[in-house]
Amino acid sequence: MAQRLLIPIGPQHPALKEPLGFRFRVEGERVLETHIRMGYVHRGIERACQERTYIQDLYLVERICGICSHIHTTAFCQGVEELLGVEVPRRALYIRTIVCELERIHSHMLWLGVLGRDAGFETLFMYTWRDRETVLDILEEISGNRINHAVNTIGGVRIDFTQAHIESILKRLDYLEEQAHYYLGLVTTESTFVARTHGVGYLSREDGRALCVVGPTTRASGVDRDVRRDDPYAAYEELPFEVVTASEGDALARTVVRVKEVIESVRMVRYALQNSPQGEVRVKVRRRVPPGEVISRVEAPRGELIYYIKSDGTERPARVKMRTPTLANLVAIPHMLKEAHIADGPIVLAAIDLCIACADR
Amino acid sequence: MPARTLLKKLKEALGEHIGQAWVPRPHRAFFTVKREELHDVVEALVKRFDIRHLSTITGVDTGEEIELLYHFWDRDVCFTVKITLPHHQPRIKTLTDIVPGALFYEREVHDLLGVEFEEHPDLSPLVLPEGWEDGHPLLKDWSPPEEN
Repeated sequence: MAQRLLIPIGPQHPALKEPLGFRFRVEGERVLETHIRMGYVHRGIERACQERTYIQDLYLVERICGICSHIHTTAFCQGVEELLGVEVPRRALYIRTIVCELERIHSHMLWLGVLGRDAGFETLFMYTWRDRETVLDILEEISGNRINHAVNTIGGVRIDFTQAHIESILKRLDYLEEQAHYYLGLVTTESTFVARTHGVGYLSREDGRALCVVGPTTRASGVDRDVRRDDPYAAYEELPFEVVTASEGDALARTVVRVKEVIESVRMVRYALQNSPQGEVRVKVRRRVPPGEVISRVEAPRGELIYYIKSDGTERPARVKMRTPTLANLVAIPHMLKEAHIADGPIVLAAIDLCIACADR
Repeated sequence: MPARTLLKKLKEALGEHIGQAWVPRPHRAFFTVKREELHDVVEALVKRFDIRHLSTITGVDTGEEIELLYHFWDRDVCFTVKITLPHHQPRIKTLTDIVPGALFYEREVHDLLGVEFEEHPDLSPLVLPEGWEDGHPLLKDWSPPEEN
């Protein structure tokens, strides 16, 4: 019988860029048990939000995540707007939605590259990160920033599109859609990639539901759940789109779901650009927010993101709570790693698209 | 199913367990339960209604007591079950035996607000450092420790 060992890895370790501590109990190459220790980048953002004004919080929550920054301000702004009882102009809702979907494309492309690298397919990393530049260029053109776009504000958005923007974006969307189809073919037929991901990190539908897993991770296990459709916000009610699911529940299925989501997102951006209503993009709002409590939910690239905001009638919130999708998905890691080979560890971790800065806050 | 319909169904099935209930807008519902009945109510949600998705647990220090809000997601409704705990030594039975996804959420509330979850398998720190002895940072009367 192989020797049983306890292997500590992290918080600084070879598999992830962000700090996360693991203790693996192994027998030979097989993982028997995984213990996760997080908190190494806990910044106390929930407490910090209580001590700042709503406007200051807007800039703080945008910095929770370096990849999906816009989705955090979307969740925060729509929550505060609900408390204020203001109606945001429809054009602003469309612009919010377009940036949300561009951000999803950029996040999924980045992720696909990281998974490719972890699976020993560095060419995929090079290709997807090259194509991701196309999305970042679009975001820079419309907002001035590659990341942390500062598009949202309470009461609307801070940017507007010109006709020239729309035409130039539409051209590049065609390229992105074509590339996404190419990647879909690649990841499902490239034999090395399939061998590294097929059957790896399996999560059954029942376990996915019991562990309250969210986003593409749960959709790849056959759970048909998406906030954009189930609890529509911004302009999602008016956009045609399909919720992508798969039933296999492994790393390969998670890859396929995300690549198909890129295709859906490209189509949604195209539709929204061509059908956005004219008009104002923001309304002025009061600094003091009436007392009340609100739950704001959005579908971040990694899954359901939920904000709870409570106001006591002042300029500062009494409580801001955010639960990011990675925190919801981390709980499934020990489950996915059970009986796995240590060598599959990086793939299993990468496949749920971890964002530790998000999870720790 | 609209939030009102879901709430009506839950009220019919759970009757006196549900205290105050309100629907602030479409897709949202809230109701309060007594803290000693929370475990039974959630067990009914899981076993009788197949509502398994706990989005998260929010802990709020209102000054007089600790409020815990359990946010559930059932198809197109996000509903919140609210309980209150005394400020002094807040305790509540864990939900991890019926909702395994509550594992980290309870640990986080334990770290930041000091709520003891009875029978939780592992209440070691989740976000606070090992050996932290400077209290629970989300309590209203908490202040940062003096820097040396």
